[in-house]
Amino acid sequence: MKQTKYVSSGGLAFSEEKDMKKLSKYAKKGWILEGFAPFGYRLQKGEPATIQYSLDYQMDADEDYFAYFEAAGWSHVCSSGNSIHLFYAPVGTAPIYSDKETMIEKYETEKKKMGKAAFIMLIITFTFMFLGALGSYGWVPALIRNGSLILGYLSLIALIFTGMPYFGYRNKLNKLLKRS
Amino acid sequence: MARYTTEMEELTDTPFYILVSLMEAKHGYFIMKSIETMTNGNFIVGPASMYTTIQKLLSAELIELVDEGDRRKKTYITTKKGVQLLKKEVKRRQEMVRHAEKMFKEKGEPLA
Repeated sequence: MKQTKYVSSGGLAFSEEKDMKKLSKYAKKGWILEGFAPFGYRLQKGEPATIQYSLDYQMDADEDYFAYFEAAGWSHVCSSGNSIHLFYAPVGTAPIYSDKETMIEKYETEKKKMGKAAFIMLIITFTFMFLGALGSYGWVPALIRNGSLILGYLSLIALIFTGMPYFGYRNKLNKLLKRS
Repeated sequence: MARYTTEMEELTDTPFYILVSLMEAKHGYFIMKSIETMTNGNFIVGPASMYTTIQKLLSAELIELVDEGDRRKKTYITTKKGVQLLKKEVKRRQEMVRHAEKMFKEKGEPLA
């Protein structure tokens, strides 16, 4: 039986760097990253390794994408939905982002994506809440009212899980832009 | 990504070196190596920056794909438009260096 361990993530929009440092600390103790898990990472017991981890967002990454990383000494560990990719390399390997322009772009793209999703969720949440409110005056049937309220709460959760990362990425971008 | 076509009027270091390297057609991942060699290891382009910048240069039509039959390995070359922009950028940078050198000379400040 292989020994595995689950490590939670602070949310990629908020604690990407912290997560990567944590993973490299675990690797030193012999817990090697194996893949993504819900709200975290799955590690497997192995040989202790002095390695660093880096994460990148790239929609529909092609073979060339991974070839570039391989050529630069970064090995692919896992991907999520072919849009989030995790790599590792020996400590001392040059970073995957070498300039600020492209790094800003990385977070700009994520911020936009999350912003769009959050906006849609906001509209949906409002619509259902509105229907639910109408229902409490007896203007719509109880079935629709209750259904709307349940869907409203569900979309509210989705709104939180898209809205918070949106602000996380926005913060990150502001920090990056301030440094210039 | 069409918005970059208008943005790339001045070249930052990474696209600059990629355009220089691609004056000779190359596979994507040889560009990183060639830039490292060209600059004696003083300028290293990370793979994520490399990939992003290649996409940008492609959509701005400053580089283009060369059809070499092997579809898995993409080969790129700097376009005429890319060479034009590179020339403009080289002149701009020469000017900048000239201005600084002139001031150094005036102040008797040695460069090295």
